[in-house]
Amino acid sequence: MLRRLAQFEFVVAMALLVIIVVLVFVAAIMRFFDTPLIWSVDMAQLLFIWLCMIGATRAMRQKGHLGIDLVVRHLPHRVRLGVEFAVSLLILGFFALLAIEGTKLTLLNQQRQFGDSGLSYGWVTAAVPVGCVLIGIALVYNMVRAWQARRDGKTLVYSRADIVEDAPAAEQSPWA
Amino acid sequence: MGLIVVIFFALMFIGAPVAFAIGISGFVFFTTDQTMPVSIAVQKIATMSQSFPLLAVPFFVFAGHLMNESGITARLFRFANLAVGWMSGGLAQVAILLSTLMGGVSGSAVADAAMEARILGPTMVAKGYGKGFSAAAIAVGSLITATIPPSIGLILYGYVGNVSIGRLFLAGIVPGILMMVGLMITTYLIAKKRGYVVADTARPTARALLGAAWDAKWALFFPVALVLAIRGGVFTPSEVGAFAVIYAAAVGVFFHRDMSWPKFLKACGDTISDVGMIMIIILMSGMVGFAIIYLQVPQGISSWMLAGVSDHNLIILMILVFLLIAGLFVESTVLVLLLTPIFVPIINSIGVDPVHFGILMMSIVTLGGMTPPVGVAMYAVCSLMNVRVEEYTVESIPFVATIIAIIGALLFLPDVVLWLPRLAFGS
Repeated sequence: MLRRLAQFEFVVAMALLVIIVVLVFVAAIMRFFDTPLIWSVDMAQLLFIWLCMIGATRAMRQKGHLGIDLVVRHLPHRVRLGVEFAVSLLILGFFALLAIEGTKLTLLNQQRQFGDSGLSYGWVTAAVPVGCVLIGIALVYNMVRAWQARRDGKTLVYSRADIVEDAPAAEQSPWA
Repeated sequence: MGLIVVIFFALMFIGAPVAFAIGISGFVFFTTDQTMPVSIAVQKIATMSQSFPLLAVPFFVFAGHLMNESGITARLFRFANLAVGWMSGGLAQVAILLSTLMGGVSGSAVADAAMEARILGPTMVAKGYGKGFSAAAIAVGSLITATIPPSIGLILYGYVGNVSIGRLFLAGIVPGILMMVGLMITTYLIAKKRGYVVADTARPTARALLGAAWDAKWALFFPVALVLAIRGGVFTPSEVGAFAVIYAAAVGVFFHRDMSWPKFLKACGDTISDVGMIMIIILMSGMVGFAIIYLQVPQGISSWMLAGVSDHNLIILMILVFLLIAGLFVESTVLVLLLTPIFVPIINSIGVDPVHFGILMMSIVTLGGMTPPVGVAMYAVCSLMNVRVEEYTVESIPFVATIIAIIGALLFLPDVVLWLPRLAFGS
């Protein structure tokens, strides 16, 4: 089920990415020939926040979010796993609050127009609660997996297994 | 503000992902401030993304991944190898030149360092170069990639500090080339002393060099086209970013014919993850950014800083030393997002060009990624090449010292940084 969700997210994010590029590309060409398309840039910005949220979900699933492990890397694995569970619960609580407030704000914002596009600004703010739920699902999934593998001495919730001894893991982290 | 700072550092200390450490500490401001409705917090996250200049980030990340999959990296490597491989410390020279060339197509130091550690690292060690020396040349050399346009760090600085990204891009070119020359001289001196020479490589003929350059022409032409398109403000950096994506895809499909559907999907996947990872930090910083302005932190810090010191260069020097120390512990994106809104008003008020300062600031904070104890580029290279951090640290000292000397010189020579943007945009 979650595999399906991940594939679905990938397809949506890829479509968003390509559409944003095309929108800005076409708008730049049109502007150069003095027939600007105002709505296309607005549209690109609206889609961008959705791309960011889905991308953050994907990065969470790949354990790609950056943290400073200077101190925690010296902890025994069990303690470190405990710390990660505690931090994860805190993050989930934060997401829950943001999702509730975001939903309220989105309902309030329905009337507000976004740029000259005629679209509701609610489409922008809605990305925050939806994004929190998506990243939250990925985090819960990571927690379940880490709990199942808790005895293997290396799996963590949101950090990759020790990077110095596990070189292939680092290959997947092209931090821009 | 004190509470926000304490929560932020506590979360960072226990290894929480940076994005959520920033997000939670910023959110605390909205829950503790009586007059501030919590829904504004959500509003601040959403508005962070609604910026046209910021679209340059996904575009240049995407263009970089597409170029990687279009065989551009391999061609640039062949050219660099031929051009400087024969010198003393040849393979390290190749690493530094390749970082400079890659700088024109990619905006990321860490991606460049990881790539070079994979393709150059094993050969360097096999040819008898010290492991720590090889890792240090690759990691510190990748700083050049982050200075030559397009640079993701400079886009963020320009966006947060409200400084022209086009000017910043052009201002990065000369310092990037100076760093290349400086690091190559350092490499030459060390390699000469230790006798690191690639014995069997003769100087290339002009013909062979031109051939390799011609083979890599689409990659070498790209930074030139980028500068020409931004010059004079004909196109904005975000628009040029969209062109860059189309260009990279077209080169891969039509000219190099290396691009295939699976490679395209891989480039998309890498881009989506990278964009998500960077952008969530930026979006989440919207709350803290608002708190910093609302609580008038820049005014407080600047009146404190300006009270005792009157010399402009001394003030910038103090800021740079502070950034150097902060950069040892904190990731560069975070420093740019949190400190640009504090320092740029100070810089403006003492009459220093924020473009000049931006280049110095970005070089310093990015250098933090190449130094212990916390350095993303350093960890990437050391883990890929299996080098101990202690060994890396000792060997990186001459390289880091070279970079700091160059940044120090640039502080007192603003014209070296600013003449290109002035030439292109007028002063």
